[in-house]
Amino acid sequence: MRNIFVRESGNYKTSYVDDMKLFGTTGEKVKIALIIGLVLLVPVFATNYWVGLLTLCVISSIGAIGLNILTGFTGQISIGVGAFLGVGGYTSAIITSTMGLSFWISLPLAGLITAIVGGIFGLPALRLKGLYLAIATLAAQVVILFIISRWTSVTGGTAGMVLSRPSIGSFTFSSNISYYYLSVVILLITVLYATNLLRTRVGRAFLAVRDRDIAAQIMGINLFRYKVLAFAVSSFFVGIAGALLGHYTMIVSPELYSTTVSIEYLAMILIGGLGSVLGSILGAVFITLLPVGLGTFVDMVVVYFPDLYSLLSAFKEFAFGLVIILFLIFEPGGLAHIWLNIKKYFKLWPFSY
Amino acid sequence: MERILEIENISLQFGGVKALDGVTYHINKGEIFSLIGPNGAGKTSMLNCISGLYQPTGGSIRYKGQEIINMKPYNRTNLGMARAFQNIALFAHMSVLDNLKLGRHSLMNAGIFSGGLYVGKGSKEEIAHREKVEEVIEFLELQDIRHTPVGTLSYGLQKRVEVGRALALNPELILLDEPMAGMNNAEKDMMSRFILDMHEVMGTTVVLIEHDLGVVMSLSDHIAVLDFGKLIGFGPPKEIQQNPEVIRAYIGEETVI
Repeated sequence: MRNIFVRESGNYKTSYVDDMKLFGTTGEKVKIALIIGLVLLVPVFATNYWVGLLTLCVISSIGAIGLNILTGFTGQISIGVGAFLGVGGYTSAIITSTMGLSFWISLPLAGLITAIVGGIFGLPALRLKGLYLAIATLAAQVVILFIISRWTSVTGGTAGMVLSRPSIGSFTFSSNISYYYLSVVILLITVLYATNLLRTRVGRAFLAVRDRDIAAQIMGINLFRYKVLAFAVSSFFVGIAGALLGHYTMIVSPELYSTTVSIEYLAMILIGGLGSVLGSILGAVFITLLPVGLGTFVDMVVVYFPDLYSLLSAFKEFAFGLVIILFLIFEPGGLAHIWLNIKKYFKLWPFSY
Repeated sequence: MERILEIENISLQFGGVKALDGVTYHINKGEIFSLIGPNGAGKTSMLNCISGLYQPTGGSIRYKGQEIINMKPYNRTNLGMARAFQNIALFAHMSVLDNLKLGRHSLMNAGIFSGGLYVGKGSKEEIAHREKVEEVIEFLELQDIRHTPVGTLSYGLQKRVEVGRALALNPELILLDEPMAGMNNAEKDMMSRFILDMHEVMGTTVVLIEHDLGVVMSLSDHIAVLDFGKLIGFGPPKEIQQNPEVIRAYIGEETVI
C-alpha cells in the first residue's frame, strides 16, 4: 500500500494557482473532510459531560488561535487575554441581556469592541518589547478587571450578569450538543480565516515584525500599524471566544477572567506550539482536558490509598506545573512540532533519513 | 545627467563621536555607485541615513529632488528604494518565496479582510505577485530552493536571497551593503554578474558598499570614499585611484625611519 503520509508524491503543479492552494491534493481534501467529519460525529458517541468538555476545548481553541496570532506570529507577549475574554463576555452580556438584542448581532460586536480595546492596550507596543510589554499588558488585565468589577450600573459589579443561550427562530441552542456544533462552526471559520491571513501580505508582515523589526521597516512595513493591528485581530478572536464562553456558561463575573486565565491561555499556545494554528488547537484541548485527566487519575488512585487523598489533590496542581516545565525543556516547538516529527518519521519509514 | 539622490552636508553624531561629518555627493540615475572606505569609516551609517534608520544631525537628502530627511523608513520604500543588509537580515523561519514576497510588501494591498478571505481580490493579488517574484527567482537562479526555509541555506545563498528580497521591490534605487562579504572568487564573480545585470537589464541604480577594490573599480561609474566620517574622494574610478588622500587612507603614510 502507498504510504499515506506521502501524498505529494507524483503530484506536479503546473500553475501558481495550484501551487498556492490550501488543499492541493485529493489526499489533503480527504484528510480534512475526515477530520471535520470526525469532529462533527463526536456528539453521537460521547456522553453529555464529554460534549460539554469538548465545547470548552473548542471555545478555548478560538481564543488560543487569537492569542497565537499576537504572541506566536507577531511576537508580542500579552498577559491580558483573561481580561479581553471578559470584555467579549461582558459586551455580549450587555448587548443581549440589558439591551435585548440578538446573539447574532452581539457576537460580532463583542469581537469588534474587544478588538478596539485590544488595539488601545496595544499602543504601548511601539516603544515596549518583550518583558516590558508583558507588564504593560498585565496593566490592561488589572485596569479592565477593575472597571468590570466597579462599574456596577453597567456590569453588575462582582455579582456578574446572567446570559441566555442563543436561538434561531424557535430553536434555542440550549443543549450541549447544539452549542457544540455552533462553536465548531465558528472555530472552523476562525481556522480558515487565520490560515489564510497568515499566508498572505498581513501575515507575512506579522512574522517579519516578530523576527527582525528593523529589516521589516525597510520592507515598507509600518511597525506601529502592524503591532496595533495584531493586537486588534488577536483580540477580535479572543472577544468572540469570550462571548461564546459567556453564553455557554450563561454567567459572566469578574473572577472568571483573572490573571490565572491569561496564564492558562499562554500555557496553551506554549504547549501547543508558538506560531502554529494547529498548535493552538492542540494546546487548548490539552490544557482544558489536563485537569480532568489528572482528576480522574487521582480518583482512581485514591480508591487504593485513601490516606493520601489530601496529598494527591495537591498533586494535580503540581503535575500541571510540571507538564509545562517539561514541555519548555524538551519540546519548545510544542505539540504541533511533535506532530510534525511523527509525520516526518512515517514519511521516511522504514529508513531513518 | 539626472541625479536620483543628492546628499548634501550630512552630519551624524553619536554623543561625542562624529560618524559622518559634512558629507556631500550625488548619485546619477542609472549608474553603479560605490561607497568605500576603511572599517568604521561610516559607510553603513551613510546607508542608514539614506534608508531612514538613522536621523542625521544635519544636512539634506533629496531623492529625485524631493527632501526625504524626515521621512519614515517604510515610506521611503514606497518611493522605490530597496536595501540589502550587510549582516543578513532575512526572516529565517520563512521560505525563500515568502522572503521575496515580503520584499514586495509595499506594492501589495491585501489587508486583514481580503487576505483572510482569500477569495477574489486577495488570491488574485497573491498570484500576480507570485509571478513577479518568480522573475526574481529566475534572475538570481534560486529555483531549486524557493520553498526552503532561509535559515537552513548556506551563507552564500542567503546573501543572494538578501539581494533578491531587495530586488523583488522592482526598485529604482537599490542599496547593497557588502553583498560580497565573505564570498570566494567564484561567488564574487556571480554576484558581480547579477549586479551588472540588474543595472543593465532592469535599469536599476545600484549603490554598493564593497571592500574588494578590484570589484569596485571594475563595476562602478562613480565612487565616494569615506574616512572617519569625512568624504575624502568623489569621482570616477580612475580619479579615485590617483587620489593621494585615498591612497593614504588605504595604505597609510610612508614613514621615514
